[in-house]
Amino acid sequence: MDRSKKYMNPYLAGFLIGLFMIAAYFFSGEGLGASGALKTTVVAATDVVAHDYAKEAQFFKRYVSSPDQVPIKTWLIFEVLGVIAGAVLSAAIFGRLGSEIIKPPHISNKTRLIAAASGGLLFGIGSQLGRGCTSGMVMSGMSVLSLSGFIGLIAIFGGGYLIAYFFRKLWI
Amino acid sequence: MGPLFPTNIIGEELNLLLAFLIGIGFGFLLEAAGFTNTRKLAGVFYGYDFVVLKVFFSAAITAGIGIYLLSYYGYMDIKEIFYPQTYWIPTLVGGFIMAFGFIIGGFCPGTSICAAATGKIDAIVFVGGALIGIFFYAFTYESLWMNLRESGAMGKVNIAEWLGISQGLFLFLLTVVAAIAFYIVTIIQQRVVLKRNFKL
Amino acid sequence: MKKFEIFIVVVLLIGAVWAFTLDDVKRHVNERLTPCQLIDLTLSADKFITTDELAKRIMNNDPSIVLIDLRRKAEFDLYSLPGAINIPIENLLDEQYKTVLDQKTYTNVFFSNSSDLSAKAWMICTRMGYKNNYILQGGLNYWAETILRPTKPKQTAVNADFVKYNFRKAASAYFVGTSVVDENKEVKNTAPVPTKGKKKEAAGGGCD
Repeated sequence: MDRSKKYMNPYLAGFLIGLFMIAAYFFSGEGLGASGALKTTVVAATDVVAHDYAKEAQFFKRYVSSPDQVPIKTWLIFEVLGVIAGAVLSAAIFGRLGSEIIKPPHISNKTRLIAAASGGLLFGIGSQLGRGCTSGMVMSGMSVLSLSGFIGLIAIFGGGYLIAYFFRKLWI
Repeated sequence: MGPLFPTNIIGEELNLLLAFLIGIGFGFLLEAAGFTNTRKLAGVFYGYDFVVLKVFFSAAITAGIGIYLLSYYGYMDIKEIFYPQTYWIPTLVGGFIMAFGFIIGGFCPGTSICAAATGKIDAIVFVGGALIGIFFYAFTYESLWMNLRESGAMGKVNIAEWLGISQGLFLFLLTVVAAIAFYIVTIIQQRVVLKRNFKL
Repeated sequence: MKKFEIFIVVVLLIGAVWAFTLDDVKRHVNERLTPCQLIDLTLSADKFITTDELAKRIMNNDPSIVLIDLRRKAEFDLYSLPGAINIPIENLLDEQYKTVLDQKTYTNVFFSNSSDLSAKAWMICTRMGYKNNYILQGGLNYWAETILRPTKPKQTAVNADFVKYNFRKAASAYFVGTSVVDENKEVKNTAPVPTKGKKKEAAGGGCD
């Protein structure tokens, strides 16, 4: 079997991710997340380009800390930098590093990229409205038995199953 | 004693270093489990690959039990840690928007960052899309989203308390349900893969 | 499923059974409020219930109200609010009263002659993590002053004062007339059933 098709046992991976989640909570009191780091990037970028706007606008001004700066040195940013490093490390070990587009054979590159961009767009909006994404809100929320994590789980995966049929051409 | 940073046992530099190290573990495991492959991710919705469900539930249950035990035996003060507040309306609506994003785009933010880092072009495009989405949200926040986002506030709600059962019982039921689900999806996966002669 | 996978699932199940065998009671000890949160709660105004509001709720037969008299037994026997139960403050933390104080269903109203004892009791209960406890503003003295013997406002007073006065007069008739009959009204102080539903958000503020 091709080395790049070998994956870690999902239960073992899940168990270990759970241990890292406990570590994150135990050491830093933070949950694992991703969309929060993307948001910080957006906020910081906006602040650099249009500081006066960021100070006034409802969305941004929560993050513009006193005296006058957007915090970029946040826990989640460093965590996501680690995620990038870890992913590259694993991909290098298993031989999955390299530029490619993964898609079902019958889908053209163009379709896949347009779908990816639109999906990203929707996820960007949804994660802000829902206060976090699959890892930051649902998985971390479930770990501390927060009701919102379970609502998010039902909304994302339940919603996914509801609409999966209509988008099946993209995948099977 | 725990959590160590919020209770000032460790300093900020060490805290950020730990963030980086924990991130490495998280990223490594996501990649190793196959979360950089959109076809494996989307498989959970079409029955040919349930890796998402398996990883997701085993991680949440491990962490849930671990954190409960740590807090029960007094090693960690659950009041000091990140505890998502419940706003059920925006979470439901936002979650549904994310469901569309997941099915159409084939990633979630965490997995897309991993995949983008390993060179998957579709993932790079997805991250770009997500950033544009957040920009769009930010600039239309006051007119479109602000009221919705603040609606349905319930504060910090523990699901076991909300259901009126003990947390231990809830964790136990969750684990049993997950174990049954693991067994069922294994069978479904075998059948679907056989039927369609599916190759990733 | 492979043997290895079954092994991991069994490990998770063992952990879950472990968690299941623990009861949530001890958890309270670890989840007590930090001093900072206690200050936030102490400074919040909504720990008080006014005499007018209490009178209105008793007159409406609000079943969720539990009146708790913190004075000594002798004083309680002499006079108390209709339907009140007696928990002398010295015995506040007795095991037998735990189900009354630590619950989510009823609204407990502490009172004594002034708000002195009730403020202490409220502080102790809040420190223990008990919720839904309130202090009767001004205690029984203020109750007598405002509800039992309301004074007529001056002619020059604003309309709202007269509305309040009329309410108090009605309340006075209600309480002075019925306080004897009402003594034997049953008070629900059995072990409360936890209810589902919205909870109040914990006080945020200066500390986070």
